[in-house]
Amino acid sequence: MTVIETHHLTKYYANGRIQALEDFNLEVTPGMIFSLLGPNGAGKTTLIKLLLGICFPTRGKAKIFGQDIKNYSCHSKLGYLAENHRFPEFLSAERILYYYGKMAGLNRSYLLERIPELLELVRLKEWGKVKIRKFSKGMLQRLGLAQALINDPELLFLDEPTDGIDPVGRREVRDILLALQERGKTIFLNSHLLSEVERVSDEIAILKNGKLIEKGNVQQFISVKHTYQLRIQNGKAELPDILNQFQISAQEKDDMLLISVSDEQQLNQFIDELRKRQLMIQAIIPHKVTLEDFFIKVLEDSQPS
Amino acid sequence: MNSKILALIQITFRESLAKKTFIAFFGISTLICLLFMFALNLDIVDGMQSSVALFGQESKELIDIEMLIFKIESAVAVLLFSGGLFMSLFATSGLIPSLMQTGTVDLLISKPLGRFHILLGRYLGAVAIVGFNVFYLVIFSWLILSLKTGFWHAGFLMAGIMIVLTFAILYALMTLLGILTRSGAFSLMITYLILFFSPLLLQRDQIYALLSGKIWGILLDSFYYFLPKTAELGNITRLLVQGQPVFSWMPLWTSVVFGILMLTTSTYIFSRKNF
Ligand SMILES: Nc1ncnc2c1ncn2[C@@H]1O[C@H](COP(=O)(O)OP(=O)(O)OP(=O)(O)O)[C@@H](O)[C@H]1O
Ligand SMILES: [Mg+2]
Repeated sequence: MTVIETHHLTKYYANGRIQALEDFNLEVTPGMIFSLLGPNGAGKTTLIKLLLGICFPTRGKAKIFGQDIKNYSCHSKLGYLAENHRFPEFLSAERILYYYGKMAGLNRSYLLERIPELLELVRLKEWGKVKIRKFSKGMLQRLGLAQALINDPELLFLDEPTDGIDPVGRREVRDILLALQERGKTIFLNSHLLSEVERVSDEIAILKNGKLIEKGNVQQFISVKHTYQLRIQNGKAELPDILNQFQISAQEKDDMLLISVSDEQQLNQFIDELRKRQLMIQAIIPHKVTLEDFFIKVLEDSQPS
Repeated sequence: MNSKILALIQITFRESLAKKTFIAFFGISTLICLLFMFALNLDIVDGMQSSVALFGQESKELIDIEMLIFKIESAVAVLLFSGGLFMSLFATSGLIPSLMQTGTVDLLISKPLGRFHILLGRYLGAVAIVGFNVFYLVIFSWLILSLKTGFWHAGFLMAGIMIVLTFAILYALMTLLGILTRSGAFSLMITYLILFFSPLLLQRDQIYALLSGKIWGILLDSFYYFLPKTAELGNITRLLVQGQPVFSWMPLWTSVVFGILMLTTSTYIFSRKNF
């Protein structure tokens, strides 16, 4: 069972002059937080718009909850936070949630209960009765998130959800997303904030010029195989000798030593040797790069092709 | 489905109200009703005859009340048919372009609503607010006048329906233009042009006397039958108010066909549009 699947999904604009998305294949399974990364104009928003029927594919097919995207009935199980979303500015936050909830097919008594909860969740409780033309950018974004959650959706599309939100708010958004995942919801995220993405996502895909250039598990991407960070307290002079003995390459990084071993067995023998020589190990941790490093490297590697 | 479309209609209603034009419309209507209520005094002297006082100024002659009511009701209908339509078209011209803005239309499409329903909700919302304003004036002035005189003419209520229908037909054109151009000002301009140009086609006999060639005659005739016939619709409205027989309903049904055609085309284009 997949929540989202696309087959050769392609979208051209301007009679084929702009290739916004090219032969895109993807599967998102339930309960996953999936993030789509890519530079500006890579086609991230285009993909969401195609999936929601806001624009139509040039070629290819896609399904949401097993239904063809042409069928809008599955939209009652979706939530969407659009990039640059625009609400009627003459309405109050509560009214907006009410009308949009109605359009999602929800009834009045459910909405009257749900709306205060959501305003509380996105920290707009005191602003419910205020016309949104008085809202700041971050507040509008919070309202957008509340709107996306109005029907307690099974699948949530968020296009740059933390855009304009302050650092504390971003952490709150992150907690909201993780809590939703806990409840089995699937989340599809577009974001440029790679540190956020790294913290919440299970899988990522990287798009460039409409083409998929990398896809997979985040933890696998950012942990570097057989490389560990080592910190010892004393006996630094003896180290080169031991490293030589095991033929382990090492490089210094801050107050740590980055070592690359051939396998875990060698790592353990190495540790035994350190202990035998009475060196005090303070820490030994698997080495990770940041998602940002990985992202930039992937984009650079894709440059020549 | 109905309650979803209702929410769209309500939002459209609120958006139109926020434009203030309809508040002005409503204010003028209220003033007219108050005028009828307090400033117009009819002293029924002798069954059918009465003396009339407007703002306390009593006219000397006795007047046939029923004629007077017809006159007042016609005046209200003419006011609504000209000024009311003019204002309504002006106030609703931005609704379709604002619906189509990125960020607005995206959110609506992400709801379990077909594109046809989105457009229909918008269209009906506009017709609803105009209908509300027109019937506010029509029903209240009708009640006041009828209560004061005892003459209850249903024709005046029919005129209200005609005015809203005329708006609905013209608004269908404006909807199509709005979808094609995304410009409220442009759609309004063209719609006004049709509104004022179509009465000229009534005089097409004189126009083709000036032009040589049969083709012009056919062209003008087709224009005439295709476009909404606002002058004749106004005429039908007047006849209805005065309780006179309407000899030809052709202008009405051909105009309705035009409206339906515009709406169908709008839906077709709107449901295939990439946003
Ligand atoms: N309606 C449109 N008409 C023509 N071209 C479009 C349209 N929408 C998007 N594009 C083009 O498609 C490409 C992909 O745009 P898209 O909005 O999907 O990028 P994105 O990855 O979301 O970028 P960002 O990170 O800036 O949000 C861009 O080159 C853009 O210019
Ligand atoms: Mg985008």
